Amino acid sequence: MDNNVGQIEENPKIATTTANSNELVAATHSASIGAKAVTNILSNSASFWKNSGRAVPGRPSPKRDFLDNTNTNIGKSGGGGGTAVQRGDRTAAGGMVSTFRDYQQSVSDAWDTGDDEFCIISSNEAAAAAAVGDDTRISRQVSQTVALNVIETHSRSNQNHVSNSSEMLDVQASNADLIPGAASYAEDIKQDRRSSHDSNENRSRLRNYPGRPQLQKISTNSQDGEFETKIEKFQLLLDSPQLDLVALKKLSWSGVPRKMRAVSWRLLSKYLPPSSERRNAVLQSKRQGYQDLRHNYFKVDSQDETQQDTYRQIHIDVPRMNPQIPLFQQQLVQEMFERVLFIWAIRHPASGYVQGINDLVTPFFIVFLQEALSPDTDLEKYDMSQLPEETRNIIEADSFWCLSKFLDCIQDNYIFAQLGIQEKVNQLKDLIQRIDVNLHRHLQTHGVDYLQFSFRWMNNLLTRELPLHCTIRLWDTYLAESDGFALFHLYVCAAFLLHWKDQLMQQNDFQGLMLLLQNLPTHNWSDRQINVLLAEAFRLKFTYADAPKHLEMKS
Amino acid sequence: MSYAYLFKYIIIGDTGVGKSCLLLQFTDKRFQPVHDLTIGVEFGARMITIDGKQIKLQIWDTAGQEAFRSITRSYYRGAAGALLVYDITRRETFNHLTTWLEDARQHSNSNMVIMLIGNKSDLDSRREVKKEEGEAFAREHGLVFMETSARTAANVEEAFINTAKEIYEKIQEGVFDINNEANGIKIGQQATPTNPALPGAGGAGGAVNSGCC
Repeated sequence: MDNNVGQIEENPKIATTTANSNELVAATHSASIGAKAVTNILSNSASFWKNSGRAVPGRPSPKRDFLDNTNTNIGKSGGGGGTAVQRGDRTAAGGMVSTFRDYQQSVSDAWDTGDDEFCIISSNEAAAAAAVGDDTRISRQVSQTVALNVIETHSRSNQNHVSNSSEMLDVQASNADLIPGAASYAEDIKQDRRSSHDSNENRSRLRNYPGRPQLQKISTNSQDGEFETKIEKFQLLLDSPQLDLVALKKLSWSGVPRKMRAVSWRLLSKYLPPSSERRNAVLQSKRQGYQDLRHNYFKVDSQDETQQDTYRQIHIDVPRMNPQIPLFQQQLVQEMFERVLFIWAIRHPASGYVQGINDLVTPFFIVFLQEALSPDTDLEKYDMSQLPEETRNIIEADSFWCLSKFLDCIQDNYIFAQLGIQEKVNQLKDLIQRIDVNLHRHLQTHGVDYLQFSFRWMNNLLTRELPLHCTIRLWDTYLAESDGFALFHLYVCAAFLLHWKDQLMQQNDFQGLMLLLQNLPTHNWSDRQINVLLAEAFRLKFTYADAPKHLEMKS
Repeated sequence: MSYAYLFKYIIIGDTGVGKSCLLLQFTDKRFQPVHDLTIGVEFGARMITIDGKQIKLQIWDTAGQEAFRSITRSYYRGAAGALLVYDITRRETFNHLTTWLEDARQHSNSNMVIMLIGNKSDLDSRREVKKEEGEAFAREHGLVFMETSARTAANVEEAFINTAKEIYEKIQEGVFDINNEANGIKIGQQATPTNPALPGAGGAGGAVNSGCC
């Protein structure tokens, strides 16, 4: 405690109005969240899969559009084409459906062979689809299937092959341009292919610890140069005087280019306002507000016993983070983490500090640190004292505010008895039972309980299971989820578990299963695997989040 | 590999006392000076030999923070042995033992063997809790006691194995109902218990064996 108090700069001001009002909101929120979570569990236990119906970036838009589209479609084409494949002038919004039945209807003809020239499944035929014309729209699912086919083909192919499928992807990207997610998904795949050489090199240097950050890889990741169109699109959005947040979310869902990430994350988490002329003022007042919080909360005499306990706990925990990386062993860095965590805990009394939240600061810290340094800096060994104090304060304040916004939608994870997590673990279990009953039975037969392995997935949002650069990519999408990522995370966890199905089915006892589940081999993962994981999670959510019948069947 | 018995353990105690390091030293024979925080529970296993019999230990290493208590409590049930760990260089971890013990007694089966462990014995210069205090606490509460060092591996094997010996003796005495898995004991194919005090021991062998490991 004492050594930190010395570090805090002289600041006679009391918290600004911004800080105070936030504090109030936070406190009220915290106080009510416990009760809310309990009610939620009671009332939501059978309905968590329900779609909120709100527009979500990176996905087709709500029912209204779907109905409009269906009507006009029938009018124009006589229903012949179905809704999965539609003419371009009307489909900018895509065709979101709100019930599984609607969804089924919308795609029921998608796989009919022969009568639908636009639905191309095999990757060889995809190029032919291009010939059909610029206004062709491919259903999202189809385009994903194509994309996945390409990934597979690519993994077995040589250079010649690459150039072929690359053309195909170009075609697909331009065709799928108006289908949210699909185009950028294809872009990601292309980008991944280009950088696959790099990542092969990186792979040899990687440690065997999933979830242990590999900063080197982030620093040397040269993806930005290859992402030019995407960067331009981001630039256009970020430069506009009034930010189109929906568009930014849509674009970010499939990944944010590195040099845009810090500013995009600030905007996505609503730490920064959409109006560009207000941004500087807001930033300044927020950053000053954080300094005032630091000043207030780190006065020793103002702390009660609980607060001191909290501080002691954080003080013990922070040095235990990322033990292999010199960056995190520096006192300056550890003190930044301590303050962010302590202030967050004090302002959220219903949950307080729970181990694991510390890991959730790291991605923000790294993204904002990276912004302050030149791209080729070796983050892993970076000496924090080289950075001016002012810059360090900015990184710390921005990390704090973004973390606070980020945790808002999952605060019930960290309240008493961690009810939010227990509920989510049960939901995961229900979901796997519906999606893949064989895997579910396999786990049950060998006595593996979902709580035993997925508690950490929920508590730490998979940060322990994935390399840090993958977590950062994952969070591009989480931050772009407009309803908050809590529900989507559930589907990501389901997709993640299903990803390992083959290996899991090969394990024939409890011990083998548990040891695999708590050390899943993700150390070689790159953005590519995350993109596939997210696409699968999206598909699962689309299929199951609105399918009550599936749920009833199991009981 | 087949085994005569399978014992389930749980490791409990305040955060940062070295629970995960003890487990790592026991299962992997290595020491990691800084260990990342345990979230929820982590699993480890190892085979040992007692009285010429192969015994498999399956161990749940738990998170020490109070916030995780409601999760970790569910692991008491179904454990035959518990290692209750404190840090000899941090007095408060010793002071909390009573709470831990109450918690363990309340949520476990009554025959669970509890081993009290004062860890970090290599850091004698920073010692805040005397060995005699640990011994006295153990005597008072009917626990087995040992000081260990996960760093030097001193007494680590012994702590796990002596706990197993106690459980094994209790089985021989017929104290444990070994056919009830909730007691944290399973019989494997190797077991050929002849002790008539064991209820239904004869037929139980094959039924509960989970196969090779």
